[in-house]
Amino acid sequence: MGSPRTACLLLPLFPLAARLRSEPELAREALVVVEGNGNAARVVAATRIARAAGVRPGLSLPQARALCPKLVARPRDGECERAAQEALLEVAEAFSPRVEDAGEGTAYLDLEGLERHYPGSTPELDLGRSLMAAADAASLPARVGIATSKLAARIAASLPDPPVRVPTGEEAAFLAPLPLQRLAPEVDVAGTLERWGVRSVGDFAKLPAARVASRLGRAGRELHATARGIDPRPLIPREPPPAFHEGMNLEWPLVALEPFLFVGRAALDRLCQRLESRGFACVRLELSLRLEPDGHQERAIDLPAPTRDVKTLLTLVRLELEARPPGAPVAGFSFAAHPDRPREAQLSLYGPAALSPDKLATTLARLFALLGPERVGSPRPVDGHCPERFTLVDFTPPPPPEVRRAPRAGRGLLAVRVLRPPMEIEVITDGAGPADSACLAPLEIRTPASAEAAKRPQVEGEVKVASGPWGLEEDWWAEDPTGRDYWDVELAGRGLYRIYRERATGVWYADGIYD
Amino acid sequence: MAEPLARESILEMSPALRQLRSSLPEAFRSRLRSARELDREIRDAAGEGAFPTAVPALDRLLDGGLPRGQLVELVGGRCSGRFSTLLAVLAAATSVGEAAALVDLGDGLDPEAVLALGADLERLLWLRPTALKDGLAAAEMLLASGFPLVVLDLGQPPVRGGRGVEAAWLRLARAARAQDAALLVGTPYRASGTAAGVVLKAGRARATWLGQGASPRLLAEYSSNLMLEKRRGQLPGRTEGFTLTAPGVPQPAAAPTLPESRSQKREEKPALAAVPLLRRVAAG
Repeated sequence: MGSPRTACLLLPLFPLAARLRSEPELAREALVVVEGNGNAARVVAATRIARAAGVRPGLSLPQARALCPKLVARPRDGECERAAQEALLEVAEAFSPRVEDAGEGTAYLDLEGLERHYPGSTPELDLGRSLMAAADAASLPARVGIATSKLAARIAASLPDPPVRVPTGEEAAFLAPLPLQRLAPEVDVAGTLERWGVRSVGDFAKLPAARVASRLGRAGRELHATARGIDPRPLIPREPPPAFHEGMNLEWPLVALEPFLFVGRAALDRLCQRLESRGFACVRLELSLRLEPDGHQERAIDLPAPTRDVKTLLTLVRLELEARPPGAPVAGFSFAAHPDRPREAQLSLYGPAALSPDKLATTLARLFALLGPERVGSPRPVDGHCPERFTLVDFTPPPPPEVRRAPRAGRGLLAVRVLRPPMEIEVITDGAGPADSACLAPLEIRTPASAEAAKRPQVEGEVKVASGPWGLEEDWWAEDPTGRDYWDVELAGRGLYRIYRERATGVWYADGIYD
Repeated sequence: MAEPLARESILEMSPALRQLRSSLPEAFRSRLRSARELDREIRDAAGEGAFPTAVPALDRLLDGGLPRGQLVELVGGRCSGRFSTLLAVLAAATSVGEAAALVDLGDGLDPEAVLALGADLERLLWLRPTALKDGLAAAEMLLASGFPLVVLDLGQPPVRGGRGVEAAWLRLARAARAQDAALLVGTPYRASGTAAGVVLKAGRARATWLGQGASPRLLAEYSSNLMLEKRRGQLPGRTEGFTLTAPGVPQPAAAPTLPESRSQKREEKPALAAVPLLRRVAAG
């Protein structure tokens, strides 16, 4: 069994690459990413146009502006970098199940067994090209190096003309001609080696290990082993994240909704693209807002079904922010999408067509946003006698039957249009019984004049035919039992209604129209 | 207007298409613009595209069922049997495995009632908007998502939002046409304007009671009629009567023998659980 092969996916100039991923329109500008505030800000990374004008990492921002007056400066953005790192890891996880998160735009992949998917003469190089293409599709201009150790792979990835492959056992020979700075030695160790006249990795590797250890200590010993191509650090696979994050710190705090949605849409686009690359959809979207001057807000939007439709998610964010404005300028934001598997449906050739699960999820989410979750669902009767009661459950229709069949002949049942809530009415009865009796037959119905009653259907008139009373008792053992006497009444020329009298209070209500 | 001309020229160029077009009836020849329209017209003419409603009067008036791709407006005043008809259509659709949606502006659905009609509640989506504008938007979303049957009921007057905006109705009709879905709109008065492809009007209903005078009375059935007011290619005025049986009363509705048989009791689930029992006690 050979040594395990490792690939390094490296994003050069990581702070700049992360920023350009969030603001791709700046790719053609002389852009620098700076760290620090005001005139003390230092350039961390610069685009090719800025570098051509002489801007280098380490310059102060005024120095850089003096070299390039049209310079566009952006501060380092932790949100952008976190999202870019996650996106890089997801690209790597699309190829290998064992991926290590090394931070700062670096990811290591265990390549064991992957070469079988690339049957060409150079499977590792083909794999490297595929990795770079996948990263490029995720707006990440990454490089790939492949070697037996992580260190050699990282150094190979930083070389020009990627992907670069280091054959097994040739790590030391590969590293030997490279300058010692490639090993990123500690400052004091680098200074000592400089004084000794050691310039390349190969020169350092030729020194006796014991003597290097006695003079330079533990750091020197480890660096010497590295120079000889020995990297004992194993690959440490990461756990898949519970949520996908996208966000950014804004250059200027936003006070209006539309500009926020403009930048938010781009973030949601990236988020949904990442979800799609992993075969997930979003079932819960969390929005964190950083507010000026020193505020923070968290929002959560639960979706009725997993979706990765950007338009729907954006509509839900809009409605959430319109309903509850942040109340302060937004200086930064972050979306966290909780993943779930999207619904799937088996289509039928001969039966009724099934609803597309994706479209249904999107539509339900939009309907929830438009009408409210308590007004959308599949109806169910509840165990009880009061006819106005019902419950709503999630709409998840079963698969349609395999063969279409004709509907059976209709029963032609008369249905009641329920009045929710029941309308209070005044009823004139025949007075042929005691006042609390249920046998008071209604003679005439009137609707009390009120602003609320004016918005409801009018139920009034002389009773032509009355049928009842039909008693209803519920929870008679409880402290607040329900007792009603129902009547079906036909009003002269005004229709047919279901009314009832509350036994406890004697108040009459109309609760349905036969329609 | 460039697009229809271009299609016209394509038709003129192809002898096969010219022959196909010439073989069509005169009424279709000048109207057809696209292959999809031709396909729909042929299916409609053969009655294949129709959505069977299991309401015999409705099926007869519409030549087999609700036409797909059109807005069908059912106008009916209070107690006209409009709501019962809409529920029967929903029950018929869901019972054969189709998904259906009810946009219920009046919030008047009783799940027991639609269950008694034989509906499969798992396939029924119920929306309860509070304004007509929201109801129209919701119905349009449902059509766009692929629901084969959408029923929109405006409830009883006063309707919040009046008749709505005509542009919204036109958009709704266009969505139904684009998705080839059946769209049935129940209104207390004409609301959809020119967007409706078919307009039916439910007449004033008449109730039939069992029992007379001082004896306990029982609502037995409700009779009404449906009139075709508008349909392309048909003269208006055709009328079909229909009868709705009150819940808990066996069919035929006027049968004077009570109580019901055991099998009927198991089959029929009344809208209000307590009422049939008391009716039987009162009658018997």
